[in-house]
Amino acid sequence: MLQYDIIIVGAGGAGLYAALETSKKENLKVAVVSKVFPTRSHTGAAQGGINAALGNVAPDNPEKHSYDTVKGSDFLADQDAVELMCQMAPKIIREMEHMGLPFSRLENGKIAQRPFGGASFPRTCYAADKTGHVMLQTLYEQCVKNGVNFLNEWFALSLVHNGERIAGIVALNLRTGEIVGIRAKAVILATGGHARIYWKRTSNALGNTGDGPAMALRAGVPLKDMEFVQFHPTGLRRTGILVTEGARGEGGYLINKDGERFMKRYAPEKMELAPRDLVSRAIETEILEGRGFKDAEGNKFVYLDLRHLGRKKILERLPQIRELAIDFEGVDPIEEPIPIRPTAHYSMGGIDTDIYGRTRIKGLYAAGECGCVSVHGANRLGGNSLLDIVVFGKLAGEDAVNYVSEVSLLPFEESAVREQEDRIRALFNNDGSEKLADLRNELSDVMTYGAGIFREEKKMKEALEKVREIKERAKKIKVYDTDMTFNTNLQQTLEFLNMVEVAETIVLGALERKESRGAHFRLDYPKRDDENFLKHSIIERGDDGELKISWKPVKITKFQPEERKY
Amino acid sequence: MEKRKVTFRIRRFNPKKDSQPYYQEYEVEVVKGMTILEALQFIKDNIDPTLSFRAFCRSAICGSCSVKINGYPKLACKTQVFGELEVYKTDILTIEPIDNMEVIRDLIVNWDSAIEKMEKMRPYLIPDPEVVPKTLDEECKVYPNELKKFDRFTDCILCTTCYSVCGIVKVDSNYGGPFPLARVYRFAVDPRDALKKERAKIGYTFDMWNCVRCEKCADVCPKHVAPVNGIMKLRGLSIDIGLKNNPGARHVAAFYKSLLESGMLNEVLLPLRTKGIKGVLENLPMGIKMILKGKAHSPIMKPIAEHEGLRKVMKAAMEVE
Repeated sequence: MLQYDIIIVGAGGAGLYAALETSKKENLKVAVVSKVFPTRSHTGAAQGGINAALGNVAPDNPEKHSYDTVKGSDFLADQDAVELMCQMAPKIIREMEHMGLPFSRLENGKIAQRPFGGASFPRTCYAADKTGHVMLQTLYEQCVKNGVNFLNEWFALSLVHNGERIAGIVALNLRTGEIVGIRAKAVILATGGHARIYWKRTSNALGNTGDGPAMALRAGVPLKDMEFVQFHPTGLRRTGILVTEGARGEGGYLINKDGERFMKRYAPEKMELAPRDLVSRAIETEILEGRGFKDAEGNKFVYLDLRHLGRKKILERLPQIRELAIDFEGVDPIEEPIPIRPTAHYSMGGIDTDIYGRTRIKGLYAAGECGCVSVHGANRLGGNSLLDIVVFGKLAGEDAVNYVSEVSLLPFEESAVREQEDRIRALFNNDGSEKLADLRNELSDVMTYGAGIFREEKKMKEALEKVREIKERAKKIKVYDTDMTFNTNLQQTLEFLNMVEVAETIVLGALERKESRGAHFRLDYPKRDDENFLKHSIIERGDDGELKISWKPVKITKFQPEERKY
Repeated sequence: MEKRKVTFRIRRFNPKKDSQPYYQEYEVEVVKGMTILEALQFIKDNIDPTLSFRAFCRSAICGSCSVKINGYPKLACKTQVFGELEVYKTDILTIEPIDNMEVIRDLIVNWDSAIEKMEKMRPYLIPDPEVVPKTLDEECKVYPNELKKFDRFTDCILCTTCYSVCGIVKVDSNYGGPFPLARVYRFAVDPRDALKKERAKIGYTFDMWNCVRCEKCADVCPKHVAPVNGIMKLRGLSIDIGLKNNPGARHVAAFYKSLLESGMLNEVLLPLRTKGIKGVLENLPMGIKMILKGKAHSPIMKPIAEHEGLRKVMKAAMEVE
């Protein structure tokens, strides 16, 4: 058995910032457990940028940033958390800048900022269209500098606690196949999002399978606001790979079959720079009403046109986008418009935490996309995700450092390891009458049509039933690969089982929230209903194994809910 | 919709089970638009769940999935199957793990030694207190032209593709390798860094002068980083800080001096200036042969006609650097 003071699960922006925070304290034994090598984490795929009211381009302040965020969230964000994040933003940007992060610059040497959806000022700091990538590399470099200890290519299987406090985790060493108990006084989950549930239509990495929330759910820890899944307006037609909002920030147009800039009908003032939920629905409406394009494979889409930006600007500000469009769609945006369609992108919901990342179990924290503080409420603004992960990764790290100085290790029962061994052995011995890939695709379709961009009661009820049915059928999936050296068949199966578990909470939350708010849009309840639903949904697994839902008030400080118009 | 039957010939190896690597063939019907990674996942999903490979972002930014396709290393996720069939005029694609690293299983290699080497080379910013403000109330000033010097090198995704094709990595275990050395250069020209040109000493310690400039690392880099350019510039910095006492640096200096003196390369003086008397003696038999065949000039050379112009161009080029 391994033993540490703090274990951080996940090595993206939140995990690495938490690790950096713990590395400031000497003599603390910390390990970062990641199922990939740290710089492979999905934070690296974030293209557009990170918001902070630096005011380098136009006068700005954290309060305006807070207001835009709260309004963008459709007033479901907790305002104390939003204020904290927006206050910390300029300092944390400068902290990373001092670490060597290569932000794009203005002529006067200061950090450049560009406009993004839902923001009232050019507030998004960026490094061309590779902001997440350089951020992840910079944080990793600093971790190397500070001697952070990594357990790379380890897959976390379960959380171990005594009902009150955390005792550690059980994890699988992917290279050797060993199942190992890891004791710790504190565990910080930073496992990222779960939009891979929409398998065939998502911008997410293959591993964004909700491992953190699924483990939490199994351990009796509640999840919050799971019904809110953001569809990013501009995913590539075939693969769902993302075209950054920066492309619209730089002035890209959305065009339908009639050559019309259709956003004028949905957000006449902000046009393409309206928030993501609005733009996604606008595109889907165009497609549903027959004003989209259709290709030979049956994919439906509209165009994102960048041609008028000119070769120079595209090469300078959006070089990666150009390459993605060429490699994955065979389209050079300098000469042709890019075929796009909304793609499942971001999980607003996650493990229920307070502003320090604390969960119901003492010593168990969650930060970043796997957690829900909540600062994004019902809809996240572009550029606020990278900010969320660093701010709350840092705060969780800080709080965990304080916490572990006051407590000792809990006993860690070996049976927790054996339980996972049994679970995996059972996967090798199943009858194999169900196939992993088929069920994964089925889950994707059920979620896309039952709990996607547009939702309604009848379809969601069916979806919930189908998810439960898939969960039952999943018990028959067999892991055919029995060799324990880098068994990716086993890993993909475990990831799928996590996704099914999380999917159920999304549909249940969506069914119970009988209103439309942010990314959650109900055809049968098209209006926001503050009287009944200005509150967070909380879902947990009861002792009987069934999911149960409860509600929690939203924290409102400065900004009273008002109608959201753009 | 265009479809083609493709045979994927994949190198398999599980060191715990197999005494030797072997090739296994899978026939797949591929639609236009499919990437190599999608094809691998199709095989895993539908034909053989034991086929092992790494993949994560599937959009060419995480660096997990570098493999060799018909002998050439690429990211599986951004390589179109139809594109490869076109290039090689074939219906058979051979997929193998990348080189210079031990195979863990099938297409999965152990990149630890490459990464560990980089981690020893201080691949992180050490803030210069003269430049980096003491508080978080201010940011550093970095001008666009300063950023331009190192920005390209921050595109590196640590996919280790360049490392896998490097001939020097193969023969010199102390050699830092393309991506780690390029990263050293990246920090050496970051105005916020405290070590600055002194970073060239790290490159020096990790045998950067052994790079033979074959440019393979530049050819294969999926992000167009061209690590070799970083290595060359790092060498330049090492000469700037006076690390001249090695054959590589002397060779560069001899080239430069020769061009400055006459506008032509003095091949007779070159060994003398690079390797000293010992070098001349070593190269003497070759030199004599060359003179006899009329392939070498006399050591006494007249400057070329446009010599002054050339000197001006050289001077301007040095200033730009």
